Amino acid sequence: MRFTQSAQIPVAREPLWDFLMDVPKVAKSLPGVESVSKIDDTTYQGTLVVRVGPIKLNLQGKIILEEQNKNDWRAALRAEAKDRMAAGAVNGRTSMTLKELGANQTELLVETDVNILGKIGEFGQPIIRKKADAMLKEFVDNIKKQLAG
Amino acid sequence: MNKKITFRVNGKKAAVEVPTNRLLIDCLRYDLGLTGTKEGCSVGVCGACTVLMDGDMISSCLTLAVMADGHEITTVEGLAKNGVLNPVQKSFIQYGGFQCGICTPGQVVAATALLEENPKPSEDEIKDWMMGNLCRCTGYYKIIESIQKAHQFAK
Amino acid sequence: MIPFEYRTPKTLKEVHAGLQEFGPDAKLIAGGTALVIMMKQRLVRPSCLVSLRDLRGLNGIEVEDGGLSIGGLATHREVESSSLVRRRLPMLAEAYHHVATIRIRNMATVGGGLAHADPNQDPPPALIALGATVKATSAKGSRVVPLDGFFTDYYETVLNPDEIITGLFIPKVPANTGAAYLKFLPRTADDYATVSAAAVLTLDKNLKTIVDARIALGSVGTTPIRATAAEAVLRGQPVKAEAFAEAGEKAKEATDPISDFRGSAGYKKEMAAVFVRRALDKALADVRQQARAKAAAKPKAKKKAAKKVAKKQRRR
Repeated sequence: MRFTQSAQIPVAREPLWDFLMDVPKVAKSLPGVESVSKIDDTTYQGTLVVRVGPIKLNLQGKIILEEQNKNDWRAALRAEAKDRMAAGAVNGRTSMTLKELGANQTELLVETDVNILGKIGEFGQPIIRKKADAMLKEFVDNIKKQLAG
Repeated sequence: MNKKITFRVNGKKAAVEVPTNRLLIDCLRYDLGLTGTKEGCSVGVCGACTVLMDGDMISSCLTLAVMADGHEITTVEGLAKNGVLNPVQKSFIQYGGFQCGICTPGQVVAATALLEENPKPSEDEIKDWMMGNLCRCTGYYKIIESIQKAHQFAK
Repeated sequence: MIPFEYRTPKTLKEVHAGLQEFGPDAKLIAGGTALVIMMKQRLVRPSCLVSLRDLRGLNGIEVEDGGLSIGGLATHREVESSSLVRRRLPMLAEAYHHVATIRIRNMATVGGGLAHADPNQDPPPALIALGATVKATSAKGSRVVPLDGFFTDYYETVLNPDEIITGLFIPKVPANTGAAYLKFLPRTADDYATVSAAAVLTLDKNLKTIVDARIALGSVGTTPIRATAAEAVLRGQPVKAEAFAEAGEKAKEATDPISDFRGSAGYKKEMAAVFVRRALDKALADVRQQARAKAAAKPKAKKKAAKKVAKKQRRR
């Protein structure tokens, strides 16, 4: 499943970039992230909790930073997570691009390609899209609080 | 957590102690040895697990055993009386309403419930009632015919 | 399924006590057809199930204030077979009849279905078009919630965790009103719809102008969608085919379907327009049919018809 999201953030491009490259900081701002620990320079381990009505998914997995290109203001990461209880998994790749809109305004463009496997895949598709939108919105609000506030 | 439940199966009292997460189909098959009811899809769609609860068709794969407490369950084993097959069973044999047999217990239980409510259903009424009982072998023609002609075997 | 405790309260008070005891890890169970599937797949893992199955007096279907009151624990099968529902609200009986199979309908309750809030279900758009409300009861009391606005997201409603749907109320249908519910099922008869449309049309006494229109769609978003823009296009307008086609197009704009095995998003959008138009046509036919039946039943008409027969017989 592929989707694109974009958000306008009232923060200059460079400090926003620095913030986004700090994985633990980003993790704290992403709703549902319950733990993040570093394995090596490009690999992190973590838990993400996603709720949909009565369904609660406990996704445990790895995030691998695949690309980090400050010249192009572009980064990409791969995520592999499993919910052991529900016998399902989420595998995906996300790329982020920052576009300067003004002195203190940047557009964050997020392109995601994700596969939802197992039982959660059945209910997964519409839910993941909606949840991704909600998560991005909350993520941006959290960034604003931390950087623009 | 275990619960003691008492219910009637095919006219006889059944008293068992089951974990709360035991499904009715598993209770019938494993705790009571009534293996006539089959599990097909496990999600209530195929109808192979059809049993009657107080005369109404239900999916035993979606019913917790504890929900049967105090109720009357009829499985395929309960359709024949004193070794005499019921009209639906006789008709299925006469008119070839089954091939591999895996869906047949569900078909026969469902058809019995239909004829209880509507003794001479039209073809459309049969299709409407039986649409939740899937069959991979017969193409449904003989099932419908068996049900249409079952009244021939009624007293 | 993980192990859980199973409570069988006999009164609402006991239900509330059970929910309080186990807090957010408790789930209510009535028919269980949706819940048990999710529990089997371990998507939902409650530590306690509080069964509503032993509660009495919450499955009645009766006339109230000219409308219909249905208990939250009435099964889908009870609603579709009720002579009261079939006579007064045949469109609602039809919508409930469309749900899955008889086996599911024998267990699934009206309240449980609404609380489950799957946007592909049949009853919600029909109920929204009929202006239905639900009664939600907690230990603190009850409140009435219109179904239009009840569903907030996939599997999510405005219900608080300690609230139970104890009743459903469909208000009195105004005179000269026709209703239709259409389920587009290109796959199997027991499936959810690719697109579904419910339309309730109220005309003036001359049956020439649309006084009110309520249109709701299912399977085209994360909740059932009420097509208010489509309704606005019809209100106050003379009855004509072009108006229905326009309403269909406006309804299409309100949809946000996803592509899945029941159809692509684009196809579902197109079908939304088609089925809203067809539902409006059917609702209109319903009003006209009711008017014809009423006229035929009038004593003057009966006398006229009897005279005609007598005349014919004399000729022979």
